[in-house]
Amino acid sequence: MPLAVDVVKRYGRRPMEKFDESKLKQSIYAACLSIKTPAGEADSTSSAVVKSVIVWVGARPTVTSSDIRRVTSTHLERFHPDAAYIYQHQKSIL
Amino acid sequence: MTITEAIVPLAIITFAALCHASFQLSTSMLTMLSGHAIGRQTARRKLARLITAFILGAAATTALLLSTLAFWLDRTFTHSIPLYVWSIATGLAVGVGISVWLIYYRRKPGTTLWIPRGFANLLARRSKKADTSAEAFTLGFTGVIAEILFVIAPLTIAALILLRLQPGWQLAGVALYTLLAITPLLIVSSLVSMGQKLSRIQKWREANKRFLQFIAGAGLIVLGAYIYVDHILAATALGLGEL
Repeated sequence: MPLAVDVVKRYGRRPMEKFDESKLKQSIYAACLSIKTPAGEADSTSSAVVKSVIVWVGARPTVTSSDIRRVTSTHLERFHPDAAYIYQHQKSIL
Repeated sequence: MTITEAIVPLAIITFAALCHASFQLSTSMLTMLSGHAIGRQTARRKLARLITAFILGAAATTALLLSTLAFWLDRTFTHSIPLYVWSIATGLAVGVGISVWLIYYRRKPGTTLWIPRGFANLLARRSKKADTSAEAFTLGFTGVIAEILFVIAPLTIAALILLRLQPGWQLAGVALYTLLAITPLLIVSSLVSMGQKLSRIQKWREANKRFLQFIAGAGLIVLGAYIYVDHILAATALGLGEL
């Protein structure tokens, strides 16, 4: 069952949306693949990180997308520091 | 014109091209394009095509801008370049050099550049979604044009210096400038092709961004100072100035 948590987008410019764990998993998976992690490892890492993030998100009615990125990076750091770096700095490359 | 006569102008063009190469927008875009293409599990051959198209786009734009600028200057000042044009080029190099020191990178973690955030987000979105060679080529073109405010200084000086060379050497000068200006892109593409992790490339860029910023700014100021001494001060001292 999807979590009934609202996500406030970056700078609050775009409308809020429901927390989507598959979207989160996909972004972590892509970050892992972008540093050439094997697909199987990327899948298991992204599943484990999403589980940890859900525990954090589940306790709150509203979260910001920046908070999700920060918490996800913290959890991803334990599994894959390089992927966590890319995930955290995606928005600050340009 | 012998190689000995051409060597000083070519050395100045080399220096201007290295200043151009130290600007980072195209490198950031290429890093982002490669990262997202690998993240989408793009086939190796297609990734190579995208990267090549991006680099060709940047190279073609650089060569065209330099040639156009040189052609326009040649048509406008048919006999010789007046002193005020050299003065403008000097001012441009020093002004852009100081601007690089002050505003090129934002005071944030990462390699966030000076460009307006809306435009940066657009470039980031397009880099992420680039899926065909034509899109990647256009992105390479856009990366150079978007930095025109900074690259105009080394381009102008290189164009002015090109006019001192004979046609054959001018072609060599354009090729040399273009090749050196795209060197960082060639390095990033080689590292990606050799299987180097993007996180390592990006960490290196972040760790050395202040050094690169200092070098780019200092390079332009030195270039401006050289042009001032060699073309303005020398001409004034010898009473050859044509204002």
